[in-house]
Amino acid sequence: MAKQRTGVTRREFLQQTALASGAVALTGLAPTAALAAQAGEQKIGSQLIGKLEGPELVLDPAKWPKKFGEAPALAELVKAGKLPPVEKRIPEEPMVVKPLHSIGKYGGTWRRGFTGPGDGENGNRIVSTDKILFWDYTGTKIMPCLAKDWKVSDDGRVVVITLRKGHRWSDGQPFTADDFVFWYEDVYMNKDIQPTPHPDFMVNGKPGRLSKRDEYTVMFEFPEPNYLFVDILAGSTAMGGGQATQQHFLRSMGAYMPAHYIKQLLPKYSSRDEVDKRAKAAGFDGWLSYAKNRWDWRLNPELPVLGPWKTVSPANTPTWGLERNPYYYGVDTEGKQLPYIDKISMGLAENLEVLNLRAIAGQYDLQERHTAMAKIPVFLENRSKGNYDVKLDPALNASDATLQINHAYDADPEIAKWLHNRDFRRALSLGIEREQLNETFWLGIGVAGSVIPSDSSPYSPGGEWRKKWSTYNPKQANELLDKIGLTKKDSEGYRLRTDGKGRLRIELQTSAGAFIPHTQVAEMIKEQWKKIGIQADTKELERNLFFTKIKGNEHQIAIWANDGTEALYLFPRHALPVDPVEALMGHPIADWFASNGKAGKAPKDPQMVKALDLFRSAGSKKTAQERYKIAQEIFKIIVEEQFSIGTVGQSPATMGVRIVSKKLGNIPARQVNAQHCRTPCSSHPATFFYKA
Amino acid sequence: MFAYLVRRLILAILTMWAVSVLSFVVIQLPPGDYITSYIAQMSSSGSFVSEQEANALRQQYGLDQPQYVQYIRWMKMVFQGNFGMALEYGRPVAEVIGDRIYLTMVVSVAAIIFTWCAALPIGVYSAVRQYSFGDYVATFVGFIGLAIPSFMLALILMYFGFTLFNANIGGLFSDEFAEASWSLAKLWDLTKHLPLPAVILGLAGTAQLIRIMRANLLDELGKPYVVTARARGLSESRLIIKYPVRVALNPFASTIGYLLPYVVSGSIIVSLVLSLPTVGPLLLKSLVAQDMFLAGTIVLLLGVMTVIGTFISDLLLMWIDPRIRFEGKQ
Repeated sequence: MAKQRTGVTRREFLQQTALASGAVALTGLAPTAALAAQAGEQKIGSQLIGKLEGPELVLDPAKWPKKFGEAPALAELVKAGKLPPVEKRIPEEPMVVKPLHSIGKYGGTWRRGFTGPGDGENGNRIVSTDKILFWDYTGTKIMPCLAKDWKVSDDGRVVVITLRKGHRWSDGQPFTADDFVFWYEDVYMNKDIQPTPHPDFMVNGKPGRLSKRDEYTVMFEFPEPNYLFVDILAGSTAMGGGQATQQHFLRSMGAYMPAHYIKQLLPKYSSRDEVDKRAKAAGFDGWLSYAKNRWDWRLNPELPVLGPWKTVSPANTPTWGLERNPYYYGVDTEGKQLPYIDKISMGLAENLEVLNLRAIAGQYDLQERHTAMAKIPVFLENRSKGNYDVKLDPALNASDATLQINHAYDADPEIAKWLHNRDFRRALSLGIEREQLNETFWLGIGVAGSVIPSDSSPYSPGGEWRKKWSTYNPKQANELLDKIGLTKKDSEGYRLRTDGKGRLRIELQTSAGAFIPHTQVAEMIKEQWKKIGIQADTKELERNLFFTKIKGNEHQIAIWANDGTEALYLFPRHALPVDPVEALMGHPIADWFASNGKAGKAPKDPQMVKALDLFRSAGSKKTAQERYKIAQEIFKIIVEEQFSIGTVGQSPATMGVRIVSKKLGNIPARQVNAQHCRTPCSSHPATFFYKA
Repeated sequence: MFAYLVRRLILAILTMWAVSVLSFVVIQLPPGDYITSYIAQMSSSGSFVSEQEANALRQQYGLDQPQYVQYIRWMKMVFQGNFGMALEYGRPVAEVIGDRIYLTMVVSVAAIIFTWCAALPIGVYSAVRQYSFGDYVATFVGFIGLAIPSFMLALILMYFGFTLFNANIGGLFSDEFAEASWSLAKLWDLTKHLPLPAVILGLAGTAQLIRIMRANLLDELGKPYVVTARARGLSESRLIIKYPVRVALNPFASTIGYLLPYVVSGSIIVSLVLSLPTVGPLLLKSLVAQDMFLAGTIVLLLGVMTVIGTFISDLLLMWIDPRIRFEGKQ
């Protein structure tokens, strides 16, 4: 076992040396020795994957602290009269967090790396407690966040959230229901800013409404039952994603905004000329560009925010610097105001290899973004020198390289006929030797199988569906292909088209720059498919071209990760063709679904129609249990029909390789790694602290 | 002479105009536009951008207009000294480039100084002492310098810097100075970081110049005027420096045309590998993101610098080499 991996890792590194890579220069040396010493007969994964754990919220007000503490720097400002005392800054009903291990110490600067202004998620995910609702550390239970409470009416048409009394923005102004109303009336309903209603705030194509009941109560109303909306408020969605994420980078969603600050940017509150003039003075072409820039927390240090840290040095400079928000609404169980860490300093790395090399050198205190799985051996080798630990957080989605079949493909009728044939798809899946892929590209850490999410996810239909049609069985695959009439072969053993136009060739379209090298994965699958007589052609495209082809309905099979499918309703696009923005399973079908049949093309396969109907019906189901059940049914159909073919996943490939300085405390051994949990935010980075 | 200068000037302006059109067109050749790459970026972070939102954004940036309209709009702004907004950065292009251009110049000038300081004396030495031990060493180093791609050299030096000296990885400043305002300490920090990139960037050029200098000087050394000067009893060092070296300097002057754009861009690949905060990586990123204002401005800047540089080297050559001056007159 260990011997086999030795060869494999070396090959992996050789492949990577093609990149201009600093860390690779390091990996050339002795990863094999490190692995052999580390792993022995065991998988390295089992040594580095710990127990899932995290801080918990104290929900019983009787157990809340009565006295409050604050960081020394803030205490001095209070003494100097520049800041109100801590009791006046935090809400009457704060968010009380029980830190994972111990009460922390104040101070320190958290050093990280980021790759430029386009890497906003690097910071967004740290301050995501500006969400309306959130999840616990397991990612399965909805928790209070900005809203201390929520209620769904019996008929599912009204969702009411209650805010925390005395909650304040980072500039000390009150945060109330008016901030929601302002966003809804002046931003969301403004056609210049938001041209159409957003699907996350609609039910069955009909828009929802937002209104205020009193200062601390906000109502979301829908024309039809929308029980799913609470999940949407808790998920990483346009409505529930929070200010930082949903208002960064030209976005204008998020359900609330600091009204007192944003008003000056909108024509409504002065005049079009006035705001345009101000925008031009700042170098922008008009008020809209300027407003979008000003409500972007990465770029505007003056913007009032609600998260634990706020920007001091913007993300479009060489260092994205954050410092504590003196009005943050979270406290620990002793009443000490969070966060413990004073500052976050993210240094610009012009390329990912330099970022990885810096992590290897111990120049980051905590970094889980951009640290690559292929570098794990080098991280391990240098961990005592760099004084850090390596922790792996496998994701919940099943396949980092999914063969997404275009169910609307029609350019070549012969190919289309086979792609839309269930037995053909099953044969393709049975012809893939997933363990070989796992050993080669996932260091043996991943889990092989179909596209269903991890067994720990309530959406999973159960372990047996991971194996179904998804184990290596070339004999059965050949039988299936023979049965459907692909019996004629050429001299090299490849099956021929039935229309007499030569060899049957299937195109695997990949995009460069994914976390797992999709093109190399496709090349290996191409080799494996030789045994079932199927000729694959791999075609690597630049990312924009990749999506342009998909939009033009030109691809046959596209390889892409199926991230997000672990929370099917919150991010369905990698499981079903429902989203025209990223319609890997057929753009015309996604268009048809998103437009309620007004555009695009209806799917021909009755099982696909059934899956989409099930998906559409979920929102009107009252309990989470009922909705989970429907999701399980959908996944069963996808696996049975092999609508998309899974390979290897549940791996730390995406943001799951965590480099943690030994100086940090309250760090979970393993944290949930999923989009809806805003990893690492479900571990409450505000409770991390420097031990010495 | 004056007519010659005017003709060159008019040609230069025409070239710049052609460069601006070409840069704008070429940048927009790949499929999609900035919004396409923006949507891809958004969806990789799990956000949804609807078709209508995408179209509204296109409208906001004028991307829905035909290309020539966009070009005219851009040119109008450029003539007012406004290069547009760097889309990904949300800041004016001039500011984004301005942030980096001084550091780029510092690194490039350091590299050029290194190149000249090393290449000139070594080139002269290995020509004068042809086939000596020193010449062989210089030739060997020269060929190695030419043969190894500089990004490879960057990787190797970075690796040894890390394993042997525990040096900072990449960049031009230590962590504590990256954010700090300018001070003597920060300047010293920069000076400490400078040699590595300067040597890496300069080495390939050095090797090339050594070879050119050596070859040119060898040509000159056998010429009758050198023999005459020697017969007249001029000291050897004075003789070499004053006459053949001056003639052999021709290639130095003619490469200035390429040096100027290099000074403002730095080397893209090496800067990327070493994570230097220079204009090079910025150009690459803006091209990937299809930010045509930023990329267009950088390409335009490079074009303008090349044109100016060529102009300057023409003038220099005329000054150094009388033969060219006469041809210009005829």
